[in-house]
Amino acid sequence: MRDRLLLIGYAAAVIAATSVHDPRWLAAGLVLALLAAGRDAPRLLRRTLLAMLAFSAVVSVGYVVAGLLAGNLNPEYLIRINIRVCLLTFLTSLLVARVDFLRALNFWPAASYLATLILSQVVTFRRLFDELRQAADSRRLRRLPLREGYAQSAGAVVHLFDKAERTAGEIALAMRSRGFFAPAGPDARRH
Amino acid sequence: MHVPDGFLSPQTYVPAYALAAGAWAYAARTLQRRLDETLLPRLAVLCALGFVLMSVMLPLPGGTSVHASGIGILAVVFGPWITFAAVSLVLLLQALVFGAGGITVLPVNALAMGLGGSAAACLGYRLLGRVDERAGLFAAGWLATVLPAVLVAGVLGVQPAIAHTADGQPLFFPFGLSVTLPAVVVPHLILGVGEGLLTILVVSFLRRR
Repeated sequence: MRDRLLLIGYAAAVIAATSVHDPRWLAAGLVLALLAAGRDAPRLLRRTLLAMLAFSAVVSVGYVVAGLLAGNLNPEYLIRINIRVCLLTFLTSLLVARVDFLRALNFWPAASYLATLILSQVVTFRRLFDELRQAADSRRLRRLPLREGYAQSAGAVVHLFDKAERTAGEIALAMRSRGFFAPAGPDARRH
Repeated sequence: MHVPDGFLSPQTYVPAYALAAGAWAYAARTLQRRLDETLLPRLAVLCALGFVLMSVMLPLPGGTSVHASGIGILAVVFGPWITFAAVSLVLLLQALVFGAGGITVLPVNALAMGLGGSAAACLGYRLLGRVDERAGLFAAGWLATVLPAVLVAGVLGVQPAIAHTADGQPLFFPFGLSVTLPAVVVPHLILGVGEGLLTILVVSFLRRR
């Protein structure tokens, strides 16, 4: 029930943040969200700024350049869009900190299992990919030519799929042994 | 090519959610019909690979980013509806776990990348794959990259026209189609070549197993 209420509150806040266009109201919403985050506010704000920095900076700089060239630069737009993006991203960070995403998917068991499997595999794949990159870096003194770089990347992807195929089989066996799939016939029932 | 939260107007994301909800319901039914001992684990590891590839992003002047996706591979192996469901789930996880993309833009990203990209990939593969398997696979990867870029650029580019102040100042994404189409689509024409080659390599590898 608590997770459901938080989700409803989050949805309402997101709709409000995209329906209000006065920067003062958007700033007030951000202050409220910061207060709601309590002691987590500095950590979540740092995460928010890191997540939005690249895109907002590119759009803001592009807007300033285009505005200067056309002679119609509007500072209020820059303030409005950056506060809005910050508020929305902060609200998402706050939601993630307060709601168990996998528990929230309980209403759809197949999606819940799939999400669990994906998250576990993401951890495995990212670690393996980092190890492959570090191993390749440690074995060369200078940057690879483009063609060799592509060949190396392709080799890494093939290796990842090789592992993925094996892992998929192991997961299927593990899921079957835990009763995820219904028995197929009389033989299966005997086991 | 994730669109970040805050750049799309409610006039865009509310109808997109309505459209995506119907597509998600159909995809869920398709997924449950095909649910067996091999589909779920294979789908999970392919999604995880797509997730890892999508995590590497490069910002573009048009306000978005480029990255590999693996959608062409998923579409050829699993078909468009299961790919749509999987990509939607990956985008949701990315938004909630890593802060990439967002909730308001989820339906647009999912429809463009998951449904548009995978449908284009399957169509390209079926048409060209009859003539030459590798050409079909390349087309799948290329189309799965380029068509979503065109759709996303179109959605971004219409924002100044549909959401602006009385004096014409933009309320959400500030650039029109004359900026977004070249800024988003042109890099993806090149990125699509890499995605096409990756699709040939990976699907050929999978078929040999």
